[in-house]
Amino acid sequence: MENQAVVELINVKKQIGNINIIDDISLKVFQGEVFGFLGPNGAGKTTTIRMMVGLIGITEGEVLINGVSIKKNYEKAILNVGGIIENPEMYKFMSGYDNLIHYARMVPKKVTKERINKVVQLVGLEKSINHKVGRYSLGMRQRLGLAQALLHSPSLLILDEPTNGLDPAGIREIRTYIRKIAHEENMAVFVSSHLLSEMQLMCDRIGIIQNGKLVRVETMGDIVDMSKEATIRIHVEPLDEAFHFLYALYEKTDIEIEDNFIKISLKQEQIPQCNKALVENDFMVYGITSTQTTLEDKFLEITEEK
Amino acid sequence: MVSFIDLIRNENMKLYKRTGTWVMIGLIILAMSGVGLFTKFVLDSDAHINWKEELKTENMQLESALKDTEQMGVGNDYVEQQLAINHYRLENDYPPVHSESLWGFMIDVTNLTGFVALFTIVVAAGIVANEFSWGTIKLLLIRPVSRSKILLSKFITTILFAIGMIILLFSLSFIFGSLLFGVSGVEQPHLVYQDGQVVEQNMITYIISLYGFNSIDLFMMLTLAFMISTVFRSSSLAIGISLFLMFTGPQLVQLLSNYEWVKYILFANTNLQQYTNGTPIVEGMTMTFSISMIMIYFIIFVALSWVIFEKRDVTA
Ligand SMILES: Nc1ncnc2c1ncn2[C@@H]1O[C@H](COP(=O)(O)OP(=O)(O)OP(=O)(O)O)[C@@H](O)[C@H]1O
Ligand SMILES: [Mg+2]
Repeated sequence: MENQAVVELINVKKQIGNINIIDDISLKVFQGEVFGFLGPNGAGKTTTIRMMVGLIGITEGEVLINGVSIKKNYEKAILNVGGIIENPEMYKFMSGYDNLIHYARMVPKKVTKERINKVVQLVGLEKSINHKVGRYSLGMRQRLGLAQALLHSPSLLILDEPTNGLDPAGIREIRTYIRKIAHEENMAVFVSSHLLSEMQLMCDRIGIIQNGKLVRVETMGDIVDMSKEATIRIHVEPLDEAFHFLYALYEKTDIEIEDNFIKISLKQEQIPQCNKALVENDFMVYGITSTQTTLEDKFLEITEEK
Repeated sequence: MVSFIDLIRNENMKLYKRTGTWVMIGLIILAMSGVGLFTKFVLDSDAHINWKEELKTENMQLESALKDTEQMGVGNDYVEQQLAINHYRLENDYPPVHSESLWGFMIDVTNLTGFVALFTIVVAAGIVANEFSWGTIKLLLIRPVSRSKILLSKFITTILFAIGMIILLFSLSFIFGSLLFGVSGVEQPHLVYQDGQVVEQNMITYIISLYGFNSIDLFMMLTLAFMISTVFRSSSLAIGISLFLMFTGPQLVQLLSNYEWVKYILFANTNLQQYTNGTPIVEGMTMTFSISMIMIYFIIFVALSWVIFEKRDVTA
């Protein structure tokens, strides 16, 4: 079961005018997995998602949902998809409940009243479900958006920046909930964001998109490992000799001289070794400061180097 | 398969959950009551007691008018028909229908179809464009329902609104008219001149046929507004263009009626009553021609709406 790709993008391209907004993206998301789609503003996240749900045409390539082409067999392919695209805009002049009834009528398999109530409870909207949506706060609308996406128990959940506008408690709740449905109900979740810190706690894998290109796909584990690398600054004399010494010692890492300091990227456990080696070779070490790289730095690093 | 009835229920829910819709319905009822009250209390009330005398004087005028036109060598069908009907009334003791009676009032109210057309244009203009301006189009379209079905459900909902308003107008004017003017004289028929003689027709059938004729114009304006709404995604543009054409179209056609090509303009064809009583705008036009023109326009409007809605990239 674990190896069934719920959604597969094959060389997907989107061209508007002469501009390639999405340039040759291929990826797969599997059952029970939360896939993070990470990229800065304007990278093409929403555009990709719009193609995945058939709102806009695919210039080249193919999107398969449970093996069914969204281009050729739209109604069958979309049957198993629930989603929020950008802000979850709903009918403001109707109650939250009426909005859900509206979407419940639009699936072939009957959505029972019990199911609606259960979903309302899941997203924590029991108290305000009979109020007009016009009175909802942004966070409440996000929740209603999530409810609408889950009504028909889809096998793929597509969420475009679902925590946008939520308070920290709300973010945590949604995050916990997304992990839960992916793992317990074996649903595939495709979630976009421009915040790596948010993705870190929610996703199993992350794809990084930039200028319409998918620049990397990493498992969360790998990204966390990368973040264990720290950049340290060493105040050492004589500077140039120490630089050549370390350059020889750590061949593969980034090393440079900056403002009379040596700047070098090392794993945590390498820092004492490095210090020891310098001292044993009669270099004068006046100080070592570590500038911890966060995931956020890593993300910026990845997106900037391209 | 998603049931089509459910799609219609959805569209109706979205239409009638809005206050604006009820305001329009209220205004139609208000206008209808206004016409009734005005007729009852403001218009002169006992002007028609001597209807036989009045008809006789009218007939004399008509006869002399007829003589004049005969001397000029042109026939005058309309005057001849009117004379025949008046004679028939005198012989059979059928007073002419006047505004202060149930039937007279109901006939007057059929003119409010224009009002219904106005509101139907507002509904047709919004039903697609609003989904775009509200941003709700995204969540509406990512369902296992084809776009053309969604569009059809919206089109049908608009038509149902128009039909509903006309039924409302008809039945409320019946109730209101009976209350205001009483039901005396309801057995009276409507008289028409057919194949050289006067024929009695059921009055209800006649009133329904009046609504029928008026509805052609309404239906075409509805389709036009719906098309603009779908193509340009702007309800104000759709309302603007449709209302402008609804008000100026018929006048424009009249003004230009000397030109032969005017008969290809939609508005020269929507008034089918020009064939049942009166003369066509451009000589040589026939009922069949007008019905074909109406159908051609209808097909163009509908095809444009569907093709564009089906293909469009939704980036709202
Ligand atoms: N209809 C369009 N015509 C031309 N360019 C467009 C169109 N739609 C989007 N773009 C461009 O495509 C790029 C990607 O936009 P997209 O909305 O997918 O970004 P995003 O990753 O979702 O950004 P954000 O984080 O701000 O939501 C942007 O540079 C945008 O200007
Ligand atoms: Mg976006």
